[in-house]
Amino acid sequence: MPRLMDMGLDQLNSMLLEMANLSQRAVAASIEAYSRGRKEPEVKQMSDQLQALHRRVSDLSMEVIARYQPVASDLRFLKACMEISYGFFRYGRYALDITQVLDMFGDLKDCDRSDVVETAQKTQEMIRMSSEAFARRDVEMARRIPPMDDVIDRSYRENVRKTINGKGNLKCSMSAALILRYLERIADHASYIAESVEYIATGVEPTK
Amino acid sequence: MAEVSKPSSLNGVQPKFETKDLKAGFGSTWVLKGIDMKIPPNRVTAVMGPSGCGKTTFVRCLNRLHELTPGAVVEGEALLDGEDIYDRNADPVAVRRRIGMVFQKPNPFPTMSIYHNVVAGLTLNGERDKKKLDHAAEHSLRGAYLWDEVKDKLTNSGASLSGGQQQRLCIARALAVEPEVILMDEPCSALDPTATAKIEELITQLKKDYTIIIVTHNLQQASRVADYTGFFYLGKLVEFDETATLFENPKEELTERYITGKFG
Amino acid sequence: MTSTIITGRRQSWRRTFDRIMKVLIMLSVAIAVIPLFLVVADVVVQGLPAISWTFFTKNPPSPLAGYGGILNGIEGSLLMVGMGTLIAVPLGVGAGIYFSEWPESRLSFLSSFMNDVLAEFPTIVIGLFVYAVVVVPTRTFSAVAGALALAIIMLPIIARTTEESLKIVPTTLREASMALGIPRWKTIFRVVISTGKSGLATGILLGIARATGETAPLVVTAGYLGFPPTGLFQQTASVPYIIYNFGTAGYPNWTTVAWGAALVLVAFMLILNLSVKFFIGRKSTGVRAEI
Repeated sequence: MPRLMDMGLDQLNSMLLEMANLSQRAVAASIEAYSRGRKEPEVKQMSDQLQALHRRVSDLSMEVIARYQPVASDLRFLKACMEISYGFFRYGRYALDITQVLDMFGDLKDCDRSDVVETAQKTQEMIRMSSEAFARRDVEMARRIPPMDDVIDRSYRENVRKTINGKGNLKCSMSAALILRYLERIADHASYIAESVEYIATGVEPTK
Repeated sequence: MAEVSKPSSLNGVQPKFETKDLKAGFGSTWVLKGIDMKIPPNRVTAVMGPSGCGKTTFVRCLNRLHELTPGAVVEGEALLDGEDIYDRNADPVAVRRRIGMVFQKPNPFPTMSIYHNVVAGLTLNGERDKKKLDHAAEHSLRGAYLWDEVKDKLTNSGASLSGGQQQRLCIARALAVEPEVILMDEPCSALDPTATAKIEELITQLKKDYTIIIVTHNLQQASRVADYTGFFYLGKLVEFDETATLFENPKEELTERYITGKFG
Repeated sequence: MTSTIITGRRQSWRRTFDRIMKVLIMLSVAIAVIPLFLVVADVVVQGLPAISWTFFTKNPPSPLAGYGGILNGIEGSLLMVGMGTLIAVPLGVGAGIYFSEWPESRLSFLSSFMNDVLAEFPTIVIGLFVYAVVVVPTRTFSAVAGALALAIIMLPIIARTTEESLKIVPTTLREASMALGIPRWKTIFRVVISTGKSGLATGILLGIARATGETAPLVVTAGYLGFPPTGLFQQTASVPYIIYNFGTAGYPNWTTVAWGAALVLVAFMLILNLSVKFFIGRKSTGVRAEI
């Protein structure tokens, strides 16, 4: 028999799934824009939508807590909801930041974008895994995500070193550095989302 | 039978009350099917569970009230500070003087004034010294957060108070006998939210001087008031832990299902 | 199509029917009450002339010899009802306490025996029993025999009302007292009986009222005496006996005395019953019903 709060919990779940979908597409679009040199105006729209959804998730979580006094797994789910929706919201925000880099720097056709694109693909894989781990509450999959973060971190630091050493075109290396920074942040959030998924199931925050 | 896990915060703490394979029932039906529980001193321990799980029977065994019902049977041990209250040589009346009880529906003695209600446990046991009685009355009524409201009408009938005040009067009456343990059987279930809040606040103050065991079917009350919570189901203790842990991350599937309302 | 509003004609028929029924019921009440009224009125009208100070201080006159009183009956009734009460109250209250506080005991069946059989027992038979057991061996009617008969009549009433009054006391009060470490017997006497005391008092008064009016058993146990009691093992007068003896003898002055005695008896019963109402009115088990 469904409980009173199940309606609220189901609504939160669908909103989060929607945010997962939306944020994945936003990041993909921004990377597309970078690698093809095109403009993708709908990224802004998606980012705004994600922000609105995040606020709604936050409000609804508070309402469920105030009205239904949830405990145990329900309570953990609500705490995780707010953290995870923040993560998806940040995905969208960074996607927007990436497109803004493109606006600022203009034409990057002559740059070697392969490094960034490769890192971007790994990042997108982390995004996809974090969304799926949440959707299916798959703790196993969630545990595989944080190690992937290290790879992204290394790539970012490599690139920064290269830029410091002054090799290559300044415009190319700077834009690459900025985008890698955003990708690195996205990867961090994917890790956080994975930790939240683990928390819902086990009630334990995994220690770093 | 799997052992109920012990909260780590109680390692090395001498329990105030400890039951060993405590069984109780009526006639040939066992309601309690062997309870092993350690109740820490100067803390509030809640006993909760669905109707019929044996929580009230358990608490009534702790002050030997259960055996007063015709046909009642009890087996096993209940150790108060290490001494078995069900020992062959134990005097039930003496046991009950060390353990106070507050009931679900407030039950002040209707023929007695407020003053006489509070000191009934003393006067009916022979205490005549007026000074001692006055002192006990004031001390207990203060302890029950009731002194200011009744100090000018101590001679009024006990039944002239509101429900919440009557319950505090009953608490004062229990305190006057200077027990070590106070048992409470759903003390707020007949009261409105304001009265309930006052009594819950009182309970958290009382634990400084007494060990408190409270039966409640109200999960939120247990989570507000209790330091430790035991979950009973069908006569067995399913889980016993610090309240925060039990309510955020219970170890037993049964506990999780009960507190999230997924039972039945 | 049926109308939802009752049409005028059916409505007026219904009202008339209601009125007829009302009148019939009032009539039957009147018919039932009139004999009672007549009895009381008769007693008052016939008895009042006999009442005077001397009525309470003199013994009855000889036949056809003027006025007198019922001093012997009053003192005799007081003596026997008093002794009967002294016997019946401890035994009855004790039995009532036992049945109420130990309902699971093997003797509890006696409770229903008392309530169902003894309470409505024909009092003449009780009188006959006491006659056989006391009067015959002692070869005399006596106040003791009369008191004993009255005690047997009062016992079930007192036991039953005691049991019922104590049973009404909520179990939670007993538990509260026991939980304070108060022993069982103190709980019974200081808490339970204290709470149910108005019921107990009611039962005792009802028993006394019943005993005062009993005639048949006294006829075969106490007999009659023309002056106040002379000894416990002597014949003794009683007010009901005077009514019985003097009312049917045929001498006009005796008839007056009988009516006067009847009035005294009825007045006494009235006072007792009003006292019962007074006791019930003072609620001693009332708990304010505010949650």
